[in-house]
Amino acid sequence: MSLLPKQGALGRLFWSWRPQSDREAGEAVVANFLLHWFPSRVTLKSLSLKYSIYLGTISLVLFCILTVSGVFLMFLYVPSVERAYWWIKDLDYAVSFGWYLRRVHRIGAHLMVAAVFLHMFRVFLTGAYKRGSAAGSNRPFNWVLGVLLLVLTLFLSFTGYLLPWDQLAFWAITVGTNIAASVPWIGDEIRQFLLGGNEVGQNTLIRFYVLHVFFLPLVLTAIAIWHMWRIRKDGGLAIVEQLRIRNRERAPEAPAKTKTWSVLGIASGTSVTVLDPGTVHETDSVPSSPFLTTRLLAVTVATLVVVMLLALVVPAPLEEAANPEVTPNPAKAPWYFLGLQELVGYSALVGGVLIPGIVLLGLALIPYLDREQAGIGLWLTDKSGRRWAVIGTVWGLLWTVGSLAIGIKFPMREAFPSIESQLFFDMVSPATLLLLSFVVLYFVSLKVTSSSRTAAIATFCAFIVAFVLLTWTGTMLRGPNWQFFWPWEAWPRQPIPF
Amino acid sequence: MSGDKPVEGESRRGFITKLTGWVLGIGFVAGSWPFIRSLFPNVLYEPPRRFKIGTPDAFQEGVHFLQDHRMFLFRDGSSFHAISGVCTHLGCTVKYSPFKQDQELTVRKLTYESAGEFHCACHGSRFRDEGTNFSGPAPRPLNWYQLELSPEDGQLVVNMSEEVDRDFRLVV
Repeated sequence: MSLLPKQGALGRLFWSWRPQSDREAGEAVVANFLLHWFPSRVTLKSLSLKYSIYLGTISLVLFCILTVSGVFLMFLYVPSVERAYWWIKDLDYAVSFGWYLRRVHRIGAHLMVAAVFLHMFRVFLTGAYKRGSAAGSNRPFNWVLGVLLLVLTLFLSFTGYLLPWDQLAFWAITVGTNIAASVPWIGDEIRQFLLGGNEVGQNTLIRFYVLHVFFLPLVLTAIAIWHMWRIRKDGGLAIVEQLRIRNRERAPEAPAKTKTWSVLGIASGTSVTVLDPGTVHETDSVPSSPFLTTRLLAVTVATLVVVMLLALVVPAPLEEAANPEVTPNPAKAPWYFLGLQELVGYSALVGGVLIPGIVLLGLALIPYLDREQAGIGLWLTDKSGRRWAVIGTVWGLLWTVGSLAIGIKFPMREAFPSIESQLFFDMVSPATLLLLSFVVLYFVSLKVTSSSRTAAIATFCAFIVAFVLLTWTGTMLRGPNWQFFWPWEAWPRQPIPF
Repeated sequence: MSGDKPVEGESRRGFITKLTGWVLGIGFVAGSWPFIRSLFPNVLYEPPRRFKIGTPDAFQEGVHFLQDHRMFLFRDGSSFHAISGVCTHLGCTVKYSPFKQDQELTVRKLTYESAGEFHCACHGSRFRDEGTNFSGPAPRPLNWYQLELSPEDGQLVVNMSEEVDRDFRLVV
């Protein structure tokens, strides 16, 4: 059975010769310009939807959609405080399909933030940040690159948020940059550097614009390429480790191959990888073309279709033009920062600086704190992992709800009216309580199971729950004056300022 | 490398390597400096920090929100003071909400008749009408700005770059 397509005129542009069998087709991946970055063969396990959910691919496709739609938007926008808002208005009402371009770009951006987060959750939960046994593997470092990509994605989205120059944009950036200002000692300087002045103005707009359309995408592209190159150097997706273990237990087979593929073509002689008994067995794998390429194509098309359909139904809001004199009520940051804004509501220092700092540092250090090598590529590793995932989830749920309840029912300043020290209110706050509960969870689970992987699973699951709950609270349950409202309660009507 | 003194030869090579490294490193930092420095503006085209707001008799008794400057002007008989409208938490503009009835309050061991308080929309901070934060995450009281009378035309002058303490009053 041959799965190869007939070679047409177009095909000759990309193929220097015509493969005669599936085997040859797989090898030919190396000789093809568009496909050379894939391995010639790929394991069935790493193709499994259940394993990777293709979230990394989806993130990349979304980034491509954003790049293309962003270039079109660049033709239709000028980053000037006098004009920016009116260009966006024109996009919505005067430019043919301008509204659609904006919606695609906006929904694509939100989906990309979500996809990158989910991708990180998946990689963590399957233990795919572990080094494994392939020669030259360094998955821990690739995880760090991934954390960098997450930060870049958030920063890209945040810089883009300002560009419509409406009330939503203006105040989200005012609040966001003031969070940066709560860094001790140099906070004001950081804020001034971000804004290019003392307030959000023309300097800020041009800074954010250049970062958004040029600098950050460039850096993100470079690191994304590095990230994907490392997947190859790390010996493929982490689930392949399970195959390597199995292969090593098998009896040694006939002498190893005498040639190996390199990116540049056929290299003569053997290489370390070829002689490694952990090399993936041919019976476990299929040629990348067409088995991987068609799947990637399907994921790409599916992502495109979802974005295009969502763009038809989800409007991109545009409020009144930015007005530094009137703060909308409530004023909210972008949704992925609303969990943070909820914490900042308790203490700017702990919620805005200490917790995000610890979370980012903790994320980056996960593969170095947990070096256990068992169960790489398996969801939640083992039975104990699954049990502690449940415990962590419940723990996170209880403490997050508890901290929120304390924050809402017992505002600290009203509980201790006689205390004036700001440090006291920074330290004794629901945000600190939540942070401490995570520290306790980590060390308790580490003590009980004496497994760094299990402790990491418990803490990470609690983190996911807290992140989701806080984001939901900040998005849905906070109304005017940042007061708490249940979803079924109506917000009081606000006088409209003129 | 001379045969009898290998150590000297090695250290010379080492020295030159280090020197190259240092020259390149310092050169890179020095070369980047103009680019980095250019991002810190020397001139800001922002509204002036010291400005006239009109003659004292243009303001009636009570509180006035000067929207363009995000500040509140208080008049109590012949005494004036100015409080910033920028929340000390994350920089949103606070709103003055008057009480239905004046309340007797004790703030900083001083008892006075208060006519309202400030609310911030972003994270629900609240301030007394003399600026003291008493609820929510705001870490500091609202800023008080210096008020002067212009000797030329007798207008009130607000100086936002001069903060004053909460006992400041301009009596005209």
